[in-house]
Amino acid sequence: MNALLTSAVAGLTAAGAYALLGVCAVFTYRLVAVVNFTGAAIGTAGTFSMIGFISLGVPLWPAVVLGILVGTLAGALIGLVMTQWFSEATATTKAAVTAALLVGLVALGLRLTGGQSPQEFPTLFPGSAFRLAGVEVTVASVLTVVLALVFTLLADAFLNRTRTGLHLRALSERPMAAELLGVRVRILALLVWAVTGAFTTFALMIIAPQRSPDFMSLSLLVVPALAAALVGAFRSFPLALAGGLTIGIVEGMSSAIDGISQYRGILPFFVILAVLLWSQRGARWDEAR
Amino acid sequence: MKSISMLLGGVALAGLAGLSATTAAEAAGPTCKDGVIRLGAVSTITGPADFSEVPEAAAAVFDAVNAKGGLNGCKIEYTISDDKADPAVAAQAARDLIDNKEVVALVGSGSLLDCAVNATTYKRKGVLSVQGLGVDAACFNAPSVAPVNVGPYTLSTAMAYYATNQLKAEKVCAFFIIIGGTQEAYKGAIETWEKITGKKIHLLDMTLPFQGDLTPYVIKARDAGCDAVIQNAVEPGVVQWVKTADAQKITGINWLFLAPGYTQEVARALADSTQPVYVGTEWEPFTETGSAANKDWIATMTAAGKPLTAFSQGGYLAATVMLDVLSGINGEVTRESVTEALLTMQPKSYDLAGTPYVFGEGDRHAPMQATKVMKLEKGTWTVETPEWVVLPSAN
Repeated sequence: MNALLTSAVAGLTAAGAYALLGVCAVFTYRLVAVVNFTGAAIGTAGTFSMIGFISLGVPLWPAVVLGILVGTLAGALIGLVMTQWFSEATATTKAAVTAALLVGLVALGLRLTGGQSPQEFPTLFPGSAFRLAGVEVTVASVLTVVLALVFTLLADAFLNRTRTGLHLRALSERPMAAELLGVRVRILALLVWAVTGAFTTFALMIIAPQRSPDFMSLSLLVVPALAAALVGAFRSFPLALAGGLTIGIVEGMSSAIDGISQYRGILPFFVILAVLLWSQRGARWDEAR
Repeated sequence: MKSISMLLGGVALAGLAGLSATTAAEAAGPTCKDGVIRLGAVSTITGPADFSEVPEAAAAVFDAVNAKGGLNGCKIEYTISDDKADPAVAAQAARDLIDNKEVVALVGSGSLLDCAVNATTYKRKGVLSVQGLGVDAACFNAPSVAPVNVGPYTLSTAMAYYATNQLKAEKVCAFFIIIGGTQEAYKGAIETWEKITGKKIHLLDMTLPFQGDLTPYVIKARDAGCDAVIQNAVEPGVVQWVKTADAQKITGINWLFLAPGYTQEVARALADSTQPVYVGTEWEPFTETGSAANKDWIATMTAAGKPLTAFSQGGYLAATVMLDVLSGINGEVTRESVTEALLTMQPKSYDLAGTPYVFGEGDRHAPMQATKVMKLEKGTWTVETPEWVVLPSAN
């Protein structure tokens, strides 16, 4: 039992990251109606730019700012592609396009960053916050959980309480109608892409030192992130947050159980499948009747 | 200027004539039909991994021989085929080399799946492969392939042996990433260590993920009381593992990794770590540029403008072995005569490796049984064992 608790706490490191990226995925979906597969890759591009700037002699924090700028730009660029050519496309097409863009980004990123060669990521927030069940819970992992929480609250408040939030919701539901009503659709959508680009970049910068330091591994963090978003049905920020935390913790716990641990990599897929089945149950039962 | 080069050419020719006169007096030496000896390599160059440095180093060795007039007058024609880490492409590449290019042997291949896909083809066609870098388990378990590297399985045994023998570890643990059919081979590696030392593995975890958070595993090693951990990750995984151990403030565990972790990039990325990190090398450590054993390899690679990496040592050594075997052939170099020479060769020592290389008959080949251990100290690799750590026989 103790071993299970220890490994559950150990899973917190991953849990914060999944939750944060999951909440970002919900944000993009609710505002521009895109299931975004490139989320983590955009952040990874910004993070790798940061270490690029550091190797050019830029001090740490200015390099962080520059890296975030690159991430913002990368986000806006993907946003431009999506709004320019696919704004009227169905959700499925949009998702497929971002999946294709992910493959392209990863291939390009691997080529530019030396493939599997490990990079040296600076730890932005070093040290451990506290010790629980024999595990050092790092400042970085606490920070990711806190950021995910803050983002959840802010996003909820922004969407429900502000006029721009209202416009954005209109934009995602009925882009054409919103445009006819005088909402500046294009600019608002690009802004959403840029903001999520900036945010995921900062998130990735915090997470990167604890993960496998290559472009592909970091970009593929999008899988557990989307699983978390799916738990929230791409609508609910709190549920996505809870989903991300749960996936991380369960993944940690599974490493302590011999029979399961070798399958822990497929856990996010299992969650995706389970949620999809659960969400479809009503329709199936109705049909059966 | 022209007269100088003519003069130099004349001197070289005179030297060559003298050389061939002495060899002719002792033995006929190798001969060739069209003035060329055809050799080939199947390597992963594009795809998820890039092992191109292995065959390119072999090419550099052959180019140097050709520049000096070839082997006993025979030029070496060396073809490198990219298998793209795709089984179908690998099979096609091997057939093309054997049937169309008519190679007499394969040499200096470095691939993720060449052995697994092509070993039986090589056996059937009677053509042997002196693998420059054996990666998959089939490279060490086939009658037609004998790599010049130690390989991950023997190296796992060697690192565990080093942990008990020299680090005096009592509770040796092993965490392996299992890809494809490598589980049995890693299990066998640990069993061999158990036979050699008479000890039992304290914890063997074969569920390490290729990607994902490693915190639970590092904690598992600590809570099990391991004092030495063998791990088979490649570069990014090594960095992540050690950083996770740092974040968990773990002390008192020696972390032992295999040759893929032995790179300058890993050393740089872990410059701030205080964890005791060891790696096993396949050959004389490539970072020891002043070492006499590395001298000729460095000279050859520098002249050809090739990088000084462990991979290029593998290609260089495979090519050197092949040249030695070819030189020993009296008469025409054909697929049959090369195969015969490899099967009946005597073990031959090379400065780059800790045990002699031999192909020989036998259903499986792992001639290389020695490693040198490097320790990470403040961002640089230092030699921990100036003498080779040679695995004793398991019997």
